[in-house]
Amino acid sequence: MSTEIQNAAKSHAGRWEPYVDNGGTSLAIAGPDFCIIASDTRQSEGYSINTRYDSKVHQITDKVLFATSGYSADGKKLAENIKIQAEKYLDKNDKIIQAPSIAQMTSIIMYQKRFFPYYVFPILAGLDGEGKGCVFSYDPVGNMERVGFQVYGSASALIQPFLDNQVGLKHQENVDKNRTLSKQEAFDLAIDSFTSATERDIYTGDYLEIYTVDSTGIHKEVRTLKFD
Amino acid sequence: MDKNILKEIVGEHEGGFSFANAKRNEYLTQNGGVMPNATKTGTTIVGLIYKDGVVLGADTRATAGTIVADKNCAKIHYITPNIYCCGAGTAADTEFTTNIVSSQLALHSMNSGRQAHVSTAMTLLKQYLFRYQGHVSAALVLGGVDINGPHLYTVYPHGSTDKLPFVTMGSGSLAAMAIFESRFKPNMERDEAVELVKDAIESGIFNDLGSGSNVDVCVITKDKVDYLRNYAKPNERVPKLKSYKFARGTTAIISETVRKFNSVKDEDAMEVV
Amino acid sequence: MSFGKVFKSSVGVKPSSHLYGLDDDIFDDRSVSEQPAEFSNSHIDVKSQKDSLIKLAHGTTTLAFKFKNGIIVATDSRATSGNIIASQTVKKVIEINPYLLGTMAGGAADCSYWERELGRRCRLYELANKERISVAAASKLLSNMVYSYKGMGLSMGTMICGWDKKGPGLFYVDSEGQRLRGDLFSVGSGSTFAYGILDTGYKYDLETADAIELARRAIYHATHRDAYSGGYIRMYHIKEEGWEFIGLEDVGELYYKYAEESK
Repeated sequence: MSTEIQNAAKSHAGRWEPYVDNGGTSLAIAGPDFCIIASDTRQSEGYSINTRYDSKVHQITDKVLFATSGYSADGKKLAENIKIQAEKYLDKNDKIIQAPSIAQMTSIIMYQKRFFPYYVFPILAGLDGEGKGCVFSYDPVGNMERVGFQVYGSASALIQPFLDNQVGLKHQENVDKNRTLSKQEAFDLAIDSFTSATERDIYTGDYLEIYTVDSTGIHKEVRTLKFD
Repeated sequence: MDKNILKEIVGEHEGGFSFANAKRNEYLTQNGGVMPNATKTGTTIVGLIYKDGVVLGADTRATAGTIVADKNCAKIHYITPNIYCCGAGTAADTEFTTNIVSSQLALHSMNSGRQAHVSTAMTLLKQYLFRYQGHVSAALVLGGVDINGPHLYTVYPHGSTDKLPFVTMGSGSLAAMAIFESRFKPNMERDEAVELVKDAIESGIFNDLGSGSNVDVCVITKDKVDYLRNYAKPNERVPKLKSYKFARGTTAIISETVRKFNSVKDEDAMEVV
Repeated sequence: MSFGKVFKSSVGVKPSSHLYGLDDDIFDDRSVSEQPAEFSNSHIDVKSQKDSLIKLAHGTTTLAFKFKNGIIVATDSRATSGNIIASQTVKKVIEINPYLLGTMAGGAADCSYWERELGRRCRLYELANKERISVAAASKLLSNMVYSYKGMGLSMGTMICGWDKKGPGLFYVDSEGQRLRGDLFSVGSGSTFAYGILDTGYKYDLETADAIELARRAIYHATHRDAYSGGYIRMYHIKEEGWEFIGLEDVGELYYKYAEESK
C-alpha cells in the first residue's frame, strides 16, 4: 500500500483502518489416523452478508488443509503464500512438504508481518509424517501450538468449550480419559457444533464445508446451515 | 420512610425515570468504564394498508451484540383492541413505551367511552419520545383501524412521525422496503397483503443479520384482529446428530452434606381457630 | 536499521529471503506506514488493555532460581487473549539447545520467534568457535536482537538459563532492553505471588527435591491468585550435563493435594 493511498484514506475517513472482521467460524479435530476440518461459508460485514458461499478452507498439500477466520482478504493471501512456499519446497526437494514443516513455516510467514499482522486466526490441520491426525493453531502474529482440536472465529466462544468437554473430556469424572474419538463421532460433533452455533451466532451460517483427511485422501462434504 | 429523607436519597423525581446515576455513569464512561449492554432487537418490522385494514409484520430475533438472545420474541405489541404497534430498537424501551401508551389509552377510552384513535396513540408516542430526545431508543410501526378508517404510522426515536400506505423499520428496513417497493399496490386483497408482508419480513430475516427466525403477522380490520403469531417458520432447527446425555456420576462431587428433614407429627400441628 | 543485513552476513541460511523468497528485510513492515511502532501500538493489543481487533496471547507466571544443585525452571501453561483463555497447554519453556532454556512471558510469538532465532545463532556460534556459547553471551545475543526493535511494540520477558564453563547461568532479558544476571527471578502477571512464596522458602542450600517443591508451590499459588495464570506446571532442572525435564502437573489436582495438607 502506498503512502499516497494511506494519506488519501486518512483524510477521507479520519483514520486509516486496514482491518475488517468478516465473521465466520473454523474448526479442526485430530484423531489417531484422521482429521476433521470444518468451516461455515458465510462472509459478512456488520449486519450485511457479503456472500453466502466463500470457502475459508484452503488445501496446501494432499494431506494438509489450512482453515482461516477473521479478515477474509488476509486469510486468502496468507493461504496463498503458504501454498506458494509449499510448491517451492516440492520443486527444490522433489518431495511433498510435511505438516509439521508447513506449521513452522506458517509461523514464520506470519511473524514476518509482526508490525502489520495478517488479521487471521489460522488452523493448520491434516496428517503428519507418521500418518497421525494433527492440528496446529496460531495467533495473528504466528505463535503456534500443536493441539488436539481448535475452534476459531465468531462462534469460537460457543464451540470451544463444547469440544473441551466432548473431545477433551474436561470436567467429566468417571470417564475413560484415554478413549479416542472415532471418525464418525468427530464428524458428527463438528456438524452438531455448527448447527448449534448457527442458532446463536449471527455471523455463522449458510453452508458448511467439512473435510475428512485420512490415509485414503481428502474427502469434502458440503451441507446447508441456516440462512437467517 | 420520611418523604424528605427519601427525596434526599433518590432526588426530586417521584415516578418516571431516575437520573440519579447519569452524571456518575458519564464520568465512568469518560474514564474508560464500560456500561452494560441492553438487549437490542436488530429488527425487521413492516406495515401496510390494504383494502379492509392494516397488516403489520415482524421478525422474532432479539440480539445482544452478535449473540442471539431470543430466537422467538414477539415484537408486535398490543396498544388497544383496535391498535397494535411493532417495535425496533432497545427491547426494554419498545416494551415499556408501548405499555405506557397502552395504559394511557385504556384510561382515555374509559373516560371518553369511545374507542381510541390511531392518531391519538401516535401523538402520545411522539410526545413521549420527543421528551427524551432520542435517549428512549424505540423505533415503531404503529397501525390500527378506528372511526376514520385504517391508519399506519412510523414513529422515530426522536419523536418524528410519518403517515404512509406502506412502511418498514429496523436494521432490515431496506431489505423489506425493496420488496414493498417492487410489489405494493393500493387496495390489495387480504391474502395478497399478508403474503407481501410475509415476504418483506423474510427478506429482512435472510438478508439482515440483525433479523432472523420466524414471521409474526397481525391483521387489523374494522371489527376483528388476527394476531398470527409465527405465521411462517422458515428457519426450523435441524435435529442434533448425537445425544449429549451424561452418565450418572459424571459431575465431580467435591463435598457432601446430608440434612434430615424435621418430621412433623400430626399432634404438633397448629390449632386453627 | 534492520536485521536483514545481519542475517545476510551471517553464515549460510537467510531465514527470510532464502527460504521464503520474500523481501531482503525479515519484516515486511515498510508498507504499513513510516512509523511501524505507531501502527503496531494502535492496532495490536499485547496486554489486553485495548479494544483492538488483534489480541495477542499473553499472561503468565514463570520463575527460575539457582541453588546448590543447579537451576530450577518452572512455568504455568495458560494463554489468554482478551478475556478468554486461549490455551491451557502452552509450552512456556523453550528448549534452545540441550544446555539452554528460555522462558516465555509477554507476547508468545515474540518469545518463541526470537528464542528460536537465538537457538540458530547459538548453533552457528558453536560451529564457528568449536565450543558452546556461554549463558552470558547467549542472553546478550537475545538482548541485542530485541533491543533494536525497542519502542516498536515487541513484548518479551524471558529468563535465559543454562550451564556453561563457569557453572549455572541465569539471566533476565526483556524487550525493553533490560538484561540482568541473578540468582532468582520470576516474570509475568503472576510473578508477585510467586515471589511471595519463593522469598520465604528460598535458600541456596536447598536439596533438589525441596527446590522442586518450592518452585511447584510458587507457580501453584500464582495460578491460584492470578486469573491470567493456570493450567499445568511445567518444571525443568538444569545440571552440568544439561537440562532435565521434570514433569507436567495439573494445578487443579494440586489444589486438592494442598487443601488436604492444610487440614
